[in-house]
Amino acid sequence: MIKLVGIEKRYEDEGESTLALAGVSFEIKKGEFVAIMGPSGSGKSTLLHILSFLDRPTSGEYFFNGHNVNDLTDLDMAHIRNSEMGFIFQSFNLLSRHTVFENVAMPLMYSHDVPIERRKHLVERAVASVGLEEKLYMEAGKLSGGQKQRVAIARALIGNPGVIFADEPTGNLDSKSGAQVMSILHDLHEKGHTIILVTHETYTAEFANRLIHIKDGRLDSDRPIVKARHSKAEFFK
Amino acid sequence: MRAYDSIRMAVAGVRHAKMRSFLTMLGIVIGIASVILLMSIGNSAQAVIINQVKGIGSNLVFVLPGASKSSKFSSPAASQGIIIKTLVKEDADALSREASIVAVAPEVRGQAKIVYGSNDTTATFIGVTGPYFSVRDFVVAEGRTFTDGEVNSYERVAVLGSEIAKTLFGGYDPLGKMIRLKDVAFRVVGVLEPKGVGPGGIDQDNAVIIPITVAQKQLLGIDYYNLITLQASDSYTSEFVKQRVFSIIRESHHITNPDKDDFDIRTQEDALSLLGNITSILTLFLTSIAFISLVVGGIGIMNIMLVSVIERTREIGLRKAVGATNGDILQQFLWESVILTFVGGLVGIMVGGLLTVGIYFILVDIVKTNWVFSLPVSAIGLAAGVSTLTGLVFGLYPARQAAKKSPIEALRYE
Repeated sequence: MIKLVGIEKRYEDEGESTLALAGVSFEIKKGEFVAIMGPSGSGKSTLLHILSFLDRPTSGEYFFNGHNVNDLTDLDMAHIRNSEMGFIFQSFNLLSRHTVFENVAMPLMYSHDVPIERRKHLVERAVASVGLEEKLYMEAGKLSGGQKQRVAIARALIGNPGVIFADEPTGNLDSKSGAQVMSILHDLHEKGHTIILVTHETYTAEFANRLIHIKDGRLDSDRPIVKARHSKAEFFK
Repeated sequence: MRAYDSIRMAVAGVRHAKMRSFLTMLGIVIGIASVILLMSIGNSAQAVIINQVKGIGSNLVFVLPGASKSSKFSSPAASQGIIIKTLVKEDADALSREASIVAVAPEVRGQAKIVYGSNDTTATFIGVTGPYFSVRDFVVAEGRTFTDGEVNSYERVAVLGSEIAKTLFGGYDPLGKMIRLKDVAFRVVGVLEPKGVGPGGIDQDNAVIIPITVAQKQLLGIDYYNLITLQASDSYTSEFVKQRVFSIIRESHHITNPDKDDFDIRTQEDALSLLGNITSILTLFLTSIAFISLVVGGIGIMNIMLVSVIERTREIGLRKAVGATNGDILQQFLWESVILTFVGGLVGIMVGGLLTVGIYFILVDIVKTNWVFSLPVSAIGLAAGVSTLTGLVFGLYPARQAAKKSPIEALRYE
């Protein structure tokens, strides 16, 4: 599904050049749950931005579902982000004065595949899947942090994307809300979604089945996570 | 993205920032209201002036003493206060024999102290012949006018304008009463309906109209005319009649070289076209001033939209992250500015319309003028179109700024 070959990302700022990623290569197969970890400034967020088409690499090759990203236009990348990717951000990124419904429906507005009359059904289903059907017409700004992140997950799911990118999804949440969010991600993985998670919390990373460790912009390690706890119930003990 | 979604999103954007939207619209409301108001004032002024010219009579040709050598825009010598004695009875008689002319109405004018009992006032008197009243479309309110028989027999009769009748007689009936002009007594035989200002700027409601023979011999001591008004037959164009009049008077004055003309001819069309030109320029001038305020409003829109783009940078990043293209973002912000200016334009049209109605009532009911109500559909259409166009033009730059943002930089914006 995803193949990176020698990806480099260099930032130029006032004549100063910073190498954020230095020749990163790996593959992610459909249905994997991958955690990317690393110390602050290691390049893990940069890597996630490149993987999720929010940014382009300076050099190297990135293949997504067989497409070489270097051959895609900005328009192609926007369409792929809309139809095949879902995003969950640390800071939720909801439009606080819009309702839950409007926030969750947002990706559908940019989709040419979903007719307007299907939207309501899809939004209701996505919101129900995160347990917030009662809050459908509430302003997003009035929700708690955990509820906001669940709305963000519903928004990420609305287009039924193949891959979900989560950037520190529990970073702004208390432990109970964090556990709820991770439980939802766990369920999504069980249903076959590919999940790529950036985190600095070992506890959160343990939900994944593979851990990529980045250090100084390079791939430090890439190993499967041996699950000491095998059931969902065990995770949330 | 579908237009339906773009518009819905733009409406939501406007609704979520009510105060900012209101303040942004205010500039456009003022601009459009000014355009409507000033265009309407210009049109009303044009209608008032043209009505006044048309009210003088219909199909009229004016023969003035003295020549004006240049264009129709130069005033004739007689109207510049120069006494010219070239128009005489023989000219009027010659003109009355012309088939294309149905009526000839010579006139003389002067100023005199007019006395009735202990009331007196200084006013214009106009010496005329019988046909004058019908040629100039005067309507008799009380009594009658006088006939050519009374003119030829030097009868001292007078017809009063509506205002001077009030000044001299108050609420009393003036008919049959004697008034004095330069110590000559005249019997009042009629009072006219209000008529307003006539040719030469004379307030016809404050004038006394008397037989031309009496005015020439007993009041002024002259044998020439100040003006001859002709009513052309409907079967002929005024231009044809004008050319005929030129030939007749040149023949009467023994003029062979047109450069030596000692008279001038103006038609009602000349006056209408001249006044039409002047009022069109006035309307254009007023409208231009209003458009300046619209441009200022447009710059206000651009300014606020730029602020809005900066404030909503993270929203732009989020929308791009979930699949919005540059075109989608451009559309969203462009629709917002167009909705703001369009709604501002509609409110401006309503405000401008209300002000126009207000001015009409003030001028007609309080100031008592002959103001004409005019709210041209073209002004409304123009205002709606221009306001929308203002949104497009001044919204384009901020919308492009929004569309150009990189998704990741926009998402990182603090």
